[in-house]
Amino acid sequence: MKERAFIGGLARQNPLLVYLLGLCPALAVSDLVSKALGLGAGVILVLLAAVAAARLLRPVIPERLQPIAWLVLVAALVSLVDLAMQAYLPALRQQLGVYLQLLAVNCLILGLVERLARSRSLSRCLRLAAGQGAGFTLALLLIALVREVLGSGTITLFPLGSFGGVIRVPGLSLYPVRVLSLAAGALLLLGYLAALAGRLMARGRKAEQRSAG
Amino acid sequence: MRQARTFPRGGIVPPDRTALSAGIPIRNACVPAEVVIPVGRQPGQCLVRPGDTVSEGMAVGRAGGPDSISVHASIPGRVREVGERILADGSRSLAVVIDLQGEFTVSARARPPVEWETLSVPELRERIREHGVADLSAAQAGAGCLVVNGVEREPYISAGQRLMIEHAPELITGLQILRRILEPAEVVFGVEEGRCEALESLGRAAEAAALDCRIEPLQPRYPQGAERPLLEALLGRSRLRSKTAGTAVTDLASLYSIYEAVVLDKPLLERIVTVTGLAVRRPANLKVRLGTRVGNLFEECGGFSEPPARLLAGGPMMGSCQSGLEAPVTRELEGLVALSRSEIGRAAETPCIGCGRCASACPWGLMPGEIYKALEHRLFAEAEAAGLTECTECGCCAYVCPARIPLVAGMRQGKSRAPEG
Amino acid sequence: MGYGPGSALRPFPAPHLHEGPTTAGMMFSVVLCLLPAGIWGVLLFGQRALHVLLVSVGASLLTELAVSGLFLRRFTLADGSALLTGLLLGYSLPPAVPLFIPAAASFFAIAVIKQSFGGLGRNWLNPALGARVFVMFSWTGPMTRWQAPLAAADVLSGATPLGLAKEALSHPVPGLRGPIELLLAGLRPSGLRAGPLSDLLQRLGRLAPAGYGQMALGNVAGCIGEGSALLLALGSIYLFVKKIIAWEIPAAYLGSFGLLAWAFGGLPFGAGLFRGDAAFHLLAGGLALGALYMAADPVTSPLKRPGRLIFGLGCGALTFLLRTWGSQPEGVALAVVLMNMFVPLLNRIGGRPISREAEQ
Repeated sequence: MKERAFIGGLARQNPLLVYLLGLCPALAVSDLVSKALGLGAGVILVLLAAVAAARLLRPVIPERLQPIAWLVLVAALVSLVDLAMQAYLPALRQQLGVYLQLLAVNCLILGLVERLARSRSLSRCLRLAAGQGAGFTLALLLIALVREVLGSGTITLFPLGSFGGVIRVPGLSLYPVRVLSLAAGALLLLGYLAALAGRLMARGRKAEQRSAG
Repeated sequence: MRQARTFPRGGIVPPDRTALSAGIPIRNACVPAEVVIPVGRQPGQCLVRPGDTVSEGMAVGRAGGPDSISVHASIPGRVREVGERILADGSRSLAVVIDLQGEFTVSARARPPVEWETLSVPELRERIREHGVADLSAAQAGAGCLVVNGVEREPYISAGQRLMIEHAPELITGLQILRRILEPAEVVFGVEEGRCEALESLGRAAEAAALDCRIEPLQPRYPQGAERPLLEALLGRSRLRSKTAGTAVTDLASLYSIYEAVVLDKPLLERIVTVTGLAVRRPANLKVRLGTRVGNLFEECGGFSEPPARLLAGGPMMGSCQSGLEAPVTRELEGLVALSRSEIGRAAETPCIGCGRCASACPWGLMPGEIYKALEHRLFAEAEAAGLTECTECGCCAYVCPARIPLVAGMRQGKSRAPEG
Repeated sequence: MGYGPGSALRPFPAPHLHEGPTTAGMMFSVVLCLLPAGIWGVLLFGQRALHVLLVSVGASLLTELAVSGLFLRRFTLADGSALLTGLLLGYSLPPAVPLFIPAAASFFAIAVIKQSFGGLGRNWLNPALGARVFVMFSWTGPMTRWQAPLAAADVLSGATPLGLAKEALSHPVPGLRGPIELLLAGLRPSGLRAGPLSDLLQRLGRLAPAGYGQMALGNVAGCIGEGSALLLALGSIYLFVKKIIAWEIPAAYLGSFGLLAWAFGGLPFGAGLFRGDAAFHLLAGGLALGALYMAADPVTSPLKRPGRLIFGLGCGALTFLLRTWGSQPEGVALAVVLMNMFVPLLNRIGGRPISREAEQ
């Protein structure tokens, strides 16, 4: 059964909710929606570029040196993204703090690069990478939405024109559930979302079996 | 006064319901029109065929291997069939069904008592064996301690008590015979301290026979009638550890059977069964022919005063629930208990809350709650590590469990399902 | 004869006798024993306290009904554990909290702490305490607004004895030998409603040394059910007698805590070793409630005696540490929660089957 490259990353093979990869940034940057979006975008960019580059460079680099090479590659790309963000989105870069640079050792990115470099077709690689990146971002966004709305009573987006960037939820912003904006709340939410994802997948699999058999 | 001894760990004190039947003297049950005698399935274990005429006390088969002790016809008559029957514990066994016919050659004749002191030890062993009581040929002489279990194995049962009250001299005689065979260094009798009449009667008989034995009163607790707790109570744990062999245990029914076999030259045909419970109209202690149908006994006791909530063969703690009245009385059956609704106190099962009462109640120091949980998840190795194989299914854990979890049933299932090795 | 072949009995498993309370019986016994302290709290703190208790119990029952009905397809209200959790939770809240707090706390306790892990008997964290911690960190402001007992309804003033003690640690008062003096100094809140109850309290309070009597009776600012250590202790006697609570945990808890408080409690005040005010610390805050009713919860405490003793010791030591050097004045909830995490480990200690002992 051919796995659907892009959609798979969003649902069945969602890196955050199914494989539980990239937990560190997930817990740290999911307290604001803007941060989640920002980091997600960074992950997608780095993933696409790294996978493409690794796929092209693989024939050239000896096999024993490949893991180190990917490390260097990803680090370089992350630095690029970091510098670009410093130039064009300094406020966001400030908020993300060290977690953007930590993408250089992110298990999700490194693992994917390692795996996809061995794939045959470039387009499939790119689709898979995009799917995983998008899935990560989607999951991060879900967590961030719940966390920020319940935990601080706001939704922080990017300022656009006259819009300040912060939407206040009435009622909750007065007495938010602060535990959710702390790391403990993030873990709780992650657990519940992962359970939900698992349940939906199980149900989907059962439906497939029933229609197949 | 020194406090009576008991076993050190766990155990329960169930309410003492022996008063229902403890005051009723033993009487003979009516001879049944038919008896069912279980025999082994192996060839050579059944000695009769349908149509054979058997006399009272004739050997009709063996329960175990070819050299095991024989089982005897408890009534004279004709073998109607040799077929499969369901026993009281639910197992199926080949059984000889005898219809009553002819005269009682063993019970009817009054026999002069045998001078057993003149018999040699091998002769004594042979008599005990051929009359179907026990196989003592392998028992070594010089046992360290001979312990007599004078404690009922289960609550509600009063057969042993009545034996001590009414037949103490016979019990002491049986004990003397056994002592002669085993030559123990010490003889200890364990009896519950509340049984004053029994203790007195026993003491008098022991004195009259000049038997050097220690009669030790024990605190009333369950399962003191089981071998290990009894030995712990009487001999103390440290002494048990140092001498694992060299302790022989016998019980009152066996002593009485030994007396009958040697002194009266009678094979094992009857046993005392306590029929009790609040649902029985007239509880009694009956001397019953082996193989009698359980229903006959209940009828003799006036039937049921109310529809019983439980019909048990054995006792209320470890007895097996009967779904009918057809099971035969076998040599191990001590009691028939018909419990009323008020006695069993039904409650629904709830999840385990980890209160730990089961672990405190277990006389073997096991952790029944953990074993049960492991078995639920099919973790047999963990269950065995927590002590599954040592469980004797005494029922103390389930007795105290607030969540009314069927712990014993779980253990039993687990033991049968556990993969070998 | 009355027992024909048609009426076959099912083969029920042995044993056929049972003794002792059922789970529901145990839960309801604990609830009964808790009621005096709660009634007293409502009398002291007024109608607001009653509302808080009603909301916490009601939300707890509702959540249990909803979650178990929806997910487990079973109705488990009858086992009494939701009622007990709701009550304990209400007792550990201040009387003046906005009502959404007990509701949220109850929801968290039942849905997240208890049911998400599998329902009764499967949670590793004490639901009432876990929810209290959750609520404490989520809405710290409302959770630390105290009300003086017997005050007029709209006068919110007074600090708890532990709060005073904590303040004294950060802003030392010269010449202060122990926290009880702070309490004595502050024991005259404004707006005191005179009446038969306050007279009774004054009279009872004079029976014990000044200050301690008030604390034992609960005539200080604090949570609804925590104040009266006396009533809680009295209620627990029945539970000990009936062996519904194991004595090892409260004994080890209070013993170790008292010992530490006596030995080291005086140090922060410069009074030296072995001059700590153990009585103050034993009577203050939620220690009585926590040690007697929450730490001993059978589901989240060890199974055997050695484990239980260590559990109690650990709770006592942690409570002392947190109260003296922690950022919060009260340390009971966090201490017990921390020790709950060690319970699976503690369950491995102690008690082997008899035959294994013989083999050694």
